[in-house]
Formats: sequence, structure tokens, C-alpha cells
Amino acid sequence: MNNQVHPVREAIKHAVLILGALIVILPFYVMVSYSLKSPHEIESNTGGFFGAQEPMVDEYCVKLGNPRDACVETPVVYNYTQAFKKAPLLRYLLNGILVTASIFIIQVLVALPCAYALSKLKFWGRDFVFGLVMFCLLIPVHAIALPIYIMLAKIGLTNTYASLVIPWTISVFGIFLMRQFFMTVPDDLIDAARMDGMSEFSIIWKVMLPTAVPALLAFAIFSVVAHWNDYFWPRVAITGNRDLYTPPLGLREFKGDADGSIWGPMMATATIIVTPLIAAFLLAQRRFIEGITLSGMK
Amino acid sequence: MSDIRLNAIFKTFGTTEVLRGIDLDIRAGEFLTLVGPSGCGKSTLLRIIAGLETQTSGDVEIAGTPVNHVRASDRDLAMVFQSYALYPHLTVRQNMATPLVLRDLTFWERAPIVGHALPGRRPKVKSLHAAVDDVAQVLKIEHLMDRKPGQLSGGQRQRVALGRAMVRKPVAFLMDEPLSNLDAALRVHMRSELAELHRSLGVTFIYVTHDQAEALTMSNRMAVMMDGDILQLGAPDEVYDDPKDRRVAEFVGSPKINMLPGRADGHGRVAALGAPLHRHVGLQDQDVTVGIRPEHLQLTTTQADNEGWPFRVTHKENMGADFFLHGTVNGSNHRMVARARPEDVAEVAIGHDVFLRAQSGKAMVFGGDDRRVYFAEGA
Amino acid sequence: MAQGSHRAAYGFIAPAVFLMIAILIAPVVIAAALSFTDYSLGNAGFDWVGLENYDRMVSRSTYTKMLSATALYVLTVVPISIALGLGAALLINSVKRFGDIYKTIYFLPVMAALLAMALVWEFALHPTLGMINNTLASGCGTWIEAFFGWHWLPWADDAPSWFENGCASGFPLWFGDKDYSLWTVAFIGIWQAFGFNMVLYLAGLTSVPRELYQAAAMDGATTAWDRFRLVTWPMLGPTTVFVVTITTIRSFQVFDTIEAITQGGPAKSTFVMMFAIYEKAIQHNLMGMGSAITVVFLGFVLILTFVQRHLVERRVHYS
Repeated sequence: MNNQVHPVREAIKHAVLILGALIVILPFYVMVSYSLKSPHEIESNTGGFFGAQEPMVDEYCVKLGNPRDACVETPVVYNYTQAFKKAPLLRYLLNGILVTASIFIIQVLVALPCAYALSKLKFWGRDFVFGLVMFCLLIPVHAIALPIYIMLAKIGLTNTYASLVIPWTISVFGIFLMRQFFMTVPDDLIDAARMDGMSEFSIIWKVMLPTAVPALLAFAIFSVVAHWNDYFWPRVAITGNRDLYTPPLGLREFKGDADGSIWGPMMATATIIVTPLIAAFLLAQRRFIEGITLSGMK
Repeated sequence: MSDIRLNAIFKTFGTTEVLRGIDLDIRAGEFLTLVGPSGCGKSTLLRIIAGLETQTSGDVEIAGTPVNHVRASDRDLAMVFQSYALYPHLTVRQNMATPLVLRDLTFWERAPIVGHALPGRRPKVKSLHAAVDDVAQVLKIEHLMDRKPGQLSGGQRQRVALGRAMVRKPVAFLMDEPLSNLDAALRVHMRSELAELHRSLGVTFIYVTHDQAEALTMSNRMAVMMDGDILQLGAPDEVYDDPKDRRVAEFVGSPKINMLPGRADGHGRVAALGAPLHRHVGLQDQDVTVGIRPEHLQLTTTQADNEGWPFRVTHKENMGADFFLHGTVNGSNHRMVARARPEDVAEVAIGHDVFLRAQSGKAMVFGGDDRRVYFAEGA
Repeated sequence: MAQGSHRAAYGFIAPAVFLMIAILIAPVVIAAALSFTDYSLGNAGFDWVGLENYDRMVSRSTYTKMLSATALYVLTVVPISIALGLGAALLINSVKRFGDIYKTIYFLPVMAALLAMALVWEFALHPTLGMINNTLASGCGTWIEAFFGWHWLPWADDAPSWFENGCASGFPLWFGDKDYSLWTVAFIGIWQAFGFNMVLYLAGLTSVPRELYQAAAMDGATTAWDRFRLVTWPMLGPTTVFVVTITTIRSFQVFDTIEAITQGGPAKSTFVMMFAIYEKAIQHNLMGMGSAITVVFLGFVLILTFVQRHLVERRVHYS
């Protein structure tokens, strides 16, 4: 086997990889660049990446009766302040955090005890419950969104925070994953805890939970990324009530009135929504890749 | 029939020197074992012969032709890997046929659908399957031919790996610890099978192992390697009886040779732990090490002529045909092991004090540089 | 103590079992039942309509277009995103340096909210203002047009090339043209999915034993293609089965790009199943029809997963 690097072949490989990287990066480049430019620069496709950053007059601000001088801003400031002014973006972001955090916490509260019982306790019907979990793994929640929506509508829960969280409270994948992980925890550890007088309930939270931290962390990333980015379910569950909008729903609102002046703020909003996860990913790549590809462990 | 010659092979990985100038002539048809502790460079050397790795400097010659720039598959060598490296998705028959398919069929004949339509393919496939069947018969694995490696036991996989190597009729077989994944009983059995296979094929075997017992039992010659050097090359009995280096003496033989601190006085007379050997060496006033194999120690109940060492028995190991006596020497912390026949130790119990003396002429003396120092003649 | 574990266990599984039945099993049953009705939210009752909803799906052009658009989308995105994912993994694995950087970049789309990136792509591909068409147009009249005219090729005919047509009568409207819309949406799907597949393949590649490549080298597999055929591809079999299944299920569920950009149009060319469920049931309150589509959708997913499990157990399970 040849261990030496063939320089020409290596160069071709890098050329192909760089070309691919450019295509992958392109929309990120567009997004960030437009969020920095003035409406004129966006429409005329000028100004390079950063735009000229010439101060511009905010016409809307003038219309409100402010003096013209007070309404002069650079495009980048204009775009990012408009992102928060045009729509209650801050509220959307807080909604997003609230919903994703609630989903994850409830998923863990439901899944951990179940996974513990399935892996470490003997009880009548255990095989049946595990069979049920394996069957439910086949059902993608998005696919049954409609009947879930009908059920929530029947009990009057649409357009509430609860409707954003309820369908995701049960993560069969989480149960399955945690069960597989708990199977590797030695029984002796649990027996020792029992000898020390711990109840089964405190074994879960004081013994099993700490050992499961790495698996739980990966699952947290898996869950948070999926629900922060989710657009379909919030679109179905929330109609009209802007106070409950999650970040993707809020961003989508910009499209309603798509004249050129709104593009800058819209791209600024997109940048704000996408940045937290991308930044977290860049900081902890290995964990993120582990978490996102968790479903590959089946 | 062709010799394999290695000239001054050096190999460095980064700053670590793995091989430091190996010269080795491997004679056509011999069973040569490269043996040494892990990390001694034996596997790297085998891979360099195979062409899987490139030496930093030096030449590999096969049948007088340098093969430094010849690809692994074109050196006409076959290799049996430690993990067997069978293709898990192919049946035993397909595994064994792979080297022939790759060698004898053209690129187009190997292509999935197009290949089957080509006229030249059928006779070639037929003849290579015949070759595979012949080998299967020799190895007695005909009944396994349609199974996949995952369905075989360790020993069966071992045979298939051998079979894949044999179908090509190579000039030499390279084996990298092929028995180390087998259980102890099967390993002992396979030793004799491999030796028989070598005799019946009459082809060169180059065999890498860390197990000195495999080297002693199977090979025509063995090369003991340590830290990237060959310390000694020779027939197994030669290496065992006449080690040229202290490290070789310690590595070969089980239980290990007893090593005692000793000293050569002004006249070259050697004494170890207070007991004189009554022999002279060509060294004066120096610390030396005296080695005595367990089977070269005699057990006595009385000490004559100040010869031999007082020995307190701490453990009696019953091996059936023999006993191994473990104990301490001269009230010191030095441990020794002696082999004895059962009838000689029937009376000896743990805690007894007896005497051990070396059989005349069997002790070996090693100098401070680990090299063997021979006794002067007639002394 | 055994007695204690028994009782505790039922307490531990109760919430999960209740939620599984209420949130996962019950909806499947409800969807199956409603698919035979003309139910609408707000109506007091409903009528059983038998197989009418299913019949529409194969007879009405809206729904046949839905099925074909979904099939086209899936059959485009799955093979291409897998091939690109595998290709990227192999290339990244074989280069000496910077492999981690490419890996990071290719994984970015997986992390980003698809809706946000869909809107960005829409701008980038805007017919008049977007940077793609502007960039293409800036090549008109230069050597670029001459090059992509292909007339310098010995076998080229006189017909104007794609690029020349674009210069003469405008470059495509992308999402606004029914001949381009589905492929453009599929392109975004591929852009988003292949990094995920790449990561799974990279993980698969690390588990291929090195000795197998060495054995292949000894056996005479001298070209990269031989090594790929003999070792890499078979050893990636389990990964491939998994990647195919998950990519297929995910691309069946495409929604964000469709809802944000094309709304199923133009001319229903991008009317995929998830969007159909959303439009027909949630927006038009045709719950019966929506349920029927849901049932068909679930059917596809179940069949796929069973095929996957079968393959994993039978064909690609080596040990």
C-alpha cells in the first residue's frame, strides 16, 4: 500500500471539496451579507459582503414625526434593530427557549423512569411494554400531526403553549436510547444502592441519572436542535396568535410583506435564529455530531 | 523456489526507530520465525517484506531481484493476518477465489453485469474454482464452502485464511500471529498442523509471533528480535542451548531461565551469590550475570565443597511429568525455579531447606553489556 | 424487595405508556377511522363515505400530482444526497489535511433551521434580484457564455445552449417555473441532507478494519475502485441501509421549503404529501381527506422500516 501522498491527486480532491464547501456556504454568505446591507445595495446587488455602510434614513421613522437627523442609521444597525422592532422577535426567541426546554425536560421526566423499569426491573408485562416502544419507534410524529391536531382542537388546546409541547412529551426514541444505555450499567451498582436503603425512585435520579449524563447530553442536543428548528408542528398548532410564535414562525411572517426594504431586517432575523445552534455546534462539534446522528445508533 | 534477502532495512516512524538495520537471508523453503516481545518491530518487518509498508532505507530482494518498488500484490507473496481479515460479505468459496479473480480476470471480466457476458470469463472462472476446490480438499474445509465467515468458528476461519493464501501458490507465506486469536488447546493443535502443512507444501514460511513456544516448536530457524534488532538467528535448539545474549536467554524458554548476580574475580573465576562455578572466563574483576535453566539445576540435601546454593522451597508446582520447585536462595530475595523429577522431590515439602547446584558446564555467563561470555577451555 | 420493584415499575412506566397510547397509537387509529369519513372540525357529525377519499387520491389530478411530486422529490433527494454524502466521506477520509474543516462546513446545513435557509435560498434564487441569476447574467457576452455555449466542442450542433437561452430570454424563474420548481426544491433538500449522510458514512468508515484493506492489497486489489468494491462498499452495507431509510423517511416529510417558498405550486408541481395534509386538512378543514393522506403516508413509512429491518437482519448482518 502506498503511504505517500500523490500531490496532483491530493490537489484534485481538495479542489472538489472546496467547490462543495462553497456551495454549502453560499446561503450562509447571502444571509449574513444581506443582513448587513442597505435596501438599495440588496436590490442592486452591490456593496460586496459588508456593504458600504453609508448612513441611511429610516423613512418609517420620519413618518412618525421624528426629525430627519434623528432617523439616520447605518444599514447594519437599521437591519438588526428593525428585526426586533418590526416583530416581537425577542418574544419569539423566549417562546422558542421555553418550548424547547419544556419539551426536553418533560421527555426526560417521562423517559428515564420508563427506561429504568424496562432495563432493570422485572415485572409482568415488561416484554409487552418494550414491544409497544419498538412499535411506536416506527411512527414519525410529523406524520400523525393531523389527528393529534384534531384531538387538541376537540379539547380546546390549540393556540396554547401546551399544544406546542404535548405531542413531543413522549420520546420513544429517548426511552429506547436510555434503556440501551442502562442495560450497560452493572446490576451490582443498583443492588448496592438498594443495600444502602435507597428507594427505587431515588435510584433513578441519584444513581442512574448521573451515570447517564453523556447519553443524556447527546439526547439533549438531538431534542433541542429538532425542536428549535421545527416549523411544521408550530405552523399547524398555532394559528393567528402571534404571542405564541416560535422563531421560525416569526421569521415566516416577514414574507407576508416582501418589499425590498424588509429584506435586510428579514435576513437579520434569520441570522439571529440560526446563530445560536451554529455557534454551539462550532464550539462542541463532536458532541453535536454525536447527538444529531444519535438516531444512527439503533 | 527463491530466497528472500533483506539488506540493512531501517524503518522510522517520526522520530522513533522501529527497525535498525536488519540483514536477513531467508532460504527458499524454510520455516523462519520472527519472534520477540510486542513492539520489537517484527510485524513491521513482515509488512515491509509483504510490501504493505515501505522501509525508510534498505532493500528487499526476492529471488535476487529488488522489489522495493513492486506492489504488494505483485510480489507473489501471500499473507495470513492475525484477525484473518476475511471478507465478511463473501462466502468461503468467494473469499478463497478473490486473489485468483483479481489476478486472472481482467477489469471488464470482473465488472458486475458486463463481465458475465464476456466469452473469456467462463473458462477462467472454471479453472480458478477448480484451484479453490483443490485447496479446500487439502485443508478439509469442503463442507464450509458456502458459508460466510461470520458462521465459522475461530479454527475454521483460520483454515479459510490459510486457504486464501494457498490458492495463489505463492513463493512464500507471511503469517502475522495467526494463532493468537485461538484458544489454548486449538493453538497447540494448529502448531503441528502448520508445521505439517509447511513440510507438505515445501514453500517458505515467514512467521511472526510473540510466543517463544511457537517459534521453538515449528520453525527451522528463528530470529529473536528486540528493539528493532535481530539479537540472534539460528535453529531453535541452537538458540535455546546457546543464547548469545542475556535478553535472548531470558526470552526463550519456559519457565524463564534463572538469572543470578555474579562476579568474576582477578583470576576470571566466577561465583554467583556466593557459590563458585569452578570455571574461568576471560574477564577480571567484573560484575556478571549467571544464567542457569531450571532443568540444569540439581537438588541435593547436603552441601559439598561449598558448591551450590541453600534453597528454601516456597512453592511446589506439579506439572504431572515434572515438578517445578520455586524458592529463595541463600536467605536472600533472589527467586529460583528448578525442574525435578517427581521421585526426587517426593520428600521435599514447602518450607524445607535444600541445596541446588548447577550441572557441570551448563551455567551461562553474561557480561555487563548483556553479551555471552564463554568459559575458558579446560578449566 | 422483589415485591417493591414490581409496584414501583408500574408507576415508572405508567406515564410513558399513557402518553404512547394517547399521542402515538390513538392518532393512528383516529386517522384510519376518519379517512373513511367526510369529517370537518366544527361540524356536529360526519358521514361515512367508504373508500371515497382513497378513490380520489388515485383519480383526482390534484392527488395524483401530489403522489408523483412526492415520489419525484424522494427519488431525487435520496440517491443524490446519499451519493454525495458517501463521496464527501470518502474524499474527506482520504485527504491528508483539513478533513475536519470540510466536515464542519458540510454539516452546517444540518444544524441551521431549514425554514430560515429556505427563505435565504429563495432570495438567492430570486429571478431578478437574486445573486444566482445576477451572477449568471454577468457572464453573458463574455467568454463564459462562449464556453457554456459548447459550440467549441467538435460534436456540438448549432442549437443554442441552456446558457445562451438564459442570456437571450432570461434565466429560469426557478421556483416560479413548473419545469424547475420541484428540482430546485429538491436541490435545497439535497443541500440540507447530504452532510448528515456524510457524517454517518464517516462513522461507518472508521469501523472498517485496516487489516481488510491490507488483505485486499495482498490479494491484488490495486486500484481504488477494486478496494472500494471488495472492502469499503460491502463493509458500509449496514450504514447504507440505515442512511437510505432515514433519508427516505425524512424526505417524505419535506414541508418547510414547500410551505415557505412554493405553496405547492406552480401548477401543483411541488404539491408534496405533508403540504397536502396541511393545506387540505388544516387550512381547508377537509379532515377526512387529510386523514386518508396521513394513512397512505404512514403506510409508506411502515413498509420502508420493515424492509430496512429485514435487510439488516438478513443481508447485511455479517457477524
